[in-house]
Amino acid sequence: MHVLQSDASITPQPAPSRSRSPQPRGRAIVVTSGKGGVGKTTTTANLGTALAQRGSRVALVDADVGLRNLDIVLGLENRVRHHVLDILEDRVSIEDAVVADKWSPTLHLLAAAQAREKDDVDTDRMRELVAQLCERYEYVLIDSPAGIEKGFQNAVVGADEAIVVCTPEVSAVRDVDRVVGLLGSRFTPQLIVNRVRPALVKKGKMLSVEDVNAILRLPLLGVIADEPDVIVAANKGEPLALRADSPTGAAFRAIAARLSGEETPAPTVSLEPDGFFGKLTSLFGGRRSK
Amino acid sequence: MSARRIVVTSGKGGVGKTTTTVNLGAALAKRGKSVVLVDADIGLRNLDLVLGLEKRIVFDLVEVVEGRCQLRQALIKDKRFDSLWMLPAAQTRDKDAIDGAAMANVTEQLAEMAEYVLIDCPAGIEHGFRNAVAGANEAIVVTTPEVSAIRDADRVIGKLSEKHLPVRLIVNRIRPEMVRAGEMLSVDDVCEILSSELLGIIPDDEEVIDTTNRGEPIVLDPTKRLAAMYDKIARRLEGEIVPFTNLDQRSFFDRFLTGLRAG
Repeated sequence: MHVLQSDASITPQPAPSRSRSPQPRGRAIVVTSGKGGVGKTTTTANLGTALAQRGSRVALVDADVGLRNLDIVLGLENRVRHHVLDILEDRVSIEDAVVADKWSPTLHLLAAAQAREKDDVDTDRMRELVAQLCERYEYVLIDSPAGIEKGFQNAVVGADEAIVVCTPEVSAVRDVDRVVGLLGSRFTPQLIVNRVRPALVKKGKMLSVEDVNAILRLPLLGVIADEPDVIVAANKGEPLALRADSPTGAAFRAIAARLSGEETPAPTVSLEPDGFFGKLTSLFGGRRSK
Repeated sequence: MSARRIVVTSGKGGVGKTTTTVNLGAALAKRGKSVVLVDADIGLRNLDLVLGLEKRIVFDLVEVVEGRCQLRQALIKDKRFDSLWMLPAAQTRDKDAIDGAAMANVTEQLAEMAEYVLIDCPAGIEHGFRNAVAGANEAIVVTTPEVSAIRDADRVIGKLSEKHLPVRLIVNRIRPEMVRAGEMLSVDDVCEILSSELLGIIPDDEEVIDTTNRGEPIVLDPTKRLAAMYDKIARRLEGEIVPFTNLDQRSFFDRFLTGLRAG
């Protein structure tokens, strides 16, 4: 069983229940953007939740050493005992460091170290860790820090796919464009356009999804409207992907389905102004798109 | 003459550092102050876009540090204010291209040319943050009323205190109706958690998205409510005592009471 990878750093555990038969390697996906505050952490938490709700085993890795927030958005901040650096520096095993999610039993969090620096992370060890996680989980989502420094490089190093999150603002588009360049030809990043306000787009005061992607030209994975409930959910630590009545949650569930290879309608948000009819259309999954 | 050198930082990205730098700079320039805005976000510059000066860039901060041009050659004058200047970041270089000593040196030189040097810091607390802070003697921390932004601000304030930089807060993107509904932390909550002095409050306003995309600082239009708020912050920065705008539109009586307590 230990033929493919050198599993040297796995601590002897009494008969782990995993891997009765050889499993396909999980998918390691980095969620990044260049610009901060566009929704990387919200996306990671909600996409992870939506995938886990579909029955997948999912690990979320917070790569924002020193400025971690994924634990807060998941409401797990009081349950974190160990962090990524504890594993990389051989103090604990992966099994001991992960925190099981409150809502989705197959969702596990690996928190970032809060009192350390990004330069403390050994890039090669980070790559190994992601590879080890891919043996245990079907999805490994890595929440990248803002920027394009060492923290970004460490977040990307173990990934084999990338999701870039962008908002309809020229500054965010420029930053994403730069990040796509830095990711290089190893990746074909998929795009999520976040915080679209259809009413503003209609008035010509905000870039449309088409405007954004006319510049970036990436496969469109999802579109998410700007809703105030995202702030409330993040403060409460309850991902919206759990809520059947939330349009944002529905958008993340659609992204999870698409990522899993399901045929889904093209991502869009309704251009109806917010209001009763706007809400109504989003309840019907944005069928009136096209 | 030696300028005040103020770094605008936050930890978390996307909370409004660049928007604050531009509008505060423009508000100070409107008051007749000479101001240089420095984009310290090497590789992910945006200050030029928000000022609408992206097409005028010839040289950048890294080229100044590497001695490939004079500092004066790299400065770009604003289209609207004669006393507002920008020093752009390099876009195709890394933050490692310069170090703290070089940044402090550039900031010192700029301080001889203007009354205010505002340094727009990149997100995070890595090398780019250390560079941005290196030349500053004051700090403005921008945060939003969200738990994650506050946690990051707290971490940054710790780092700034290690450097003995005085810190003042701008709480950005307040939504009074959400605060009232108990769905958002209030300005008082934020200041209490961060135990820092308040410099300004800016409500969430969708106009900012449009003005940012068009490269027009919102302070240019006196009819916009945010223009008045940035003007107030500029006056506070100048040492004036300016009452804080009460965003809470409850009843007159409530406002009266709050006024009493604050007074």
